[in-house]
Amino acid sequence: MTEQEYQPHAEEERREFAAESESLWRLTLAPVTWALHLVLCYATVSLACARQLFPVDTARIWLIGATVLALALIGWQGWRALQQWNVRNTGALSHPEGKAEDRHQFLGHATFLIALISAIGTVFTSLPLLLLEGCR
Amino acid sequence: MTRTKPLGTIASDASGPALAGHLLAPAAGARRRGFTLVAVALFTAGCEGRQSALAPAGADAEALHLLFTSMLAGAAVLWLGMNGLFYWFSRRSPAAFPEHHARRLILFGGVFAPTLIVGGVLVWGLSLLPDQRAPGEGLRISVTGEQWWWRVEYLPEGDAGPVISANEIRLPAGERTEFLLTADRFIHSFWIPALGGKMDMFPGRETRMSLKPETPGTYRGQCAEFCGASHAWMAFEAVVMPPEDFAAWLEAEAQDARAPQSESARRGLEIFRREGCGACHSIRGTEAVGQVGPDLTHVGARHSIGAGRLGASLDDIALWVAHTGELKPEVQMPAFPHLEPAELQDLARYLKELE
Repeated sequence: MTEQEYQPHAEEERREFAAESESLWRLTLAPVTWALHLVLCYATVSLACARQLFPVDTARIWLIGATVLALALIGWQGWRALQQWNVRNTGALSHPEGKAEDRHQFLGHATFLIALISAIGTVFTSLPLLLLEGCR
Repeated sequence: MTRTKPLGTIASDASGPALAGHLLAPAAGARRRGFTLVAVALFTAGCEGRQSALAPAGADAEALHLLFTSMLAGAAVLWLGMNGLFYWFSRRSPAAFPEHHARRLILFGGVFAPTLIVGGVLVWGLSLLPDQRAPGEGLRISVTGEQWWWRVEYLPEGDAGPVISANEIRLPAGERTEFLLTADRFIHSFWIPALGGKMDMFPGRETRMSLKPETPGTYRGQCAEFCGASHAWMAFEAVVMPPEDFAAWLEAEAQDARAPQSESARRGLEIFRREGCGACHSIRGTEAVGQVGPDLTHVGARHSIGAGRLGASLDDIALWVAHTGELKPEVQMPAFPHLEPAELQDLARYLKELE
């Protein structure tokens, strides 16, 4: 391990952290997908039911499609996060040392958990689509 | 009262302490059982009654009752389980818990179990919704929330026009009846707990729900959305009748009011005219065609007066007319305290005869 040598170099740390900022963005992708899916569902169903802009049956099919897409996106993020966490190889469930590698894995860990809760939220949001037909 | 001594004292006087002890022991047991019975009765008494979701009298209320009791039982099991675990690990077996066991516990107890339980309850709850909004089997009832009473129109199947009524809802047992709900100026909520769930009523919008009552009887409905000073007094009687009785009642309700029968009621009609009651109230078949207040065509057959405020006796009606604003703060109807008691009785007699 060469991290010991890097430790005092603040500049190096800063650069690594900048590289990590991409996975900070990835952290938010799953909950953003969940949020957009929720807004899309509520808006579409209310436009169909309250304003009759389009038939609710069609809206339902499209929204079920959007749900599959959202879950695929969240699943992909979750899978990538699982790779980043690398828990199978390291077995590290906690990352107490705060080194660059730890931070990298911790962000993967957090992203994975957030993707999991986003997937559950998205499934719960779309249950009415599957169980309720029409506007009643 | 002739028996002044308690039972225990009599026993000990008559047969000495030994026998007294023998007699008292089962008495104490019975007393304890008595206390338990009273406690259970007091505790469960709140569940009964004609305005209780815990005493269901219809298919929709049954479904909600089952959901409620199941969730209550589940919550009790979880509560006991969690406290049991807490007790076990803090008092009984406080040794260190292996980390991999702890992780598994968090994963199953904190992630999988809640997701499955909440998901299951969500699916169950959603599956109940279509029934509670299902279209009726013929009869529809339009209800408008007013300040603070209920405008009711029965819309029978076919071409027959609406049957106008107020402050009481009659339903045929064993049939699903659809409600078309709206409100005049403020948001109200329509709720007959013994028959089913509630539904909000909005000015300028129509919401729908349906009820399938099963057990004939008289239940109480109540506005369930705060709507001003007399919100708590905005109630109604919900009468579930056998279908043939209901059909006969609806036919009678569609008729015009009958003319006053007694001398007192004839005087009451004159007072009704003189005081200008017809400016606000309708009595079909007379010149009273006001639309501001409840229709009174068959007010004498209703179970309550003032939208569930008072009973329906002559005295109740007289009290209502003389003290309207005191009984129902901020209500639009003025009180008529200047009427003589005899006049109030005549007016009450006239209204009571409008069956």
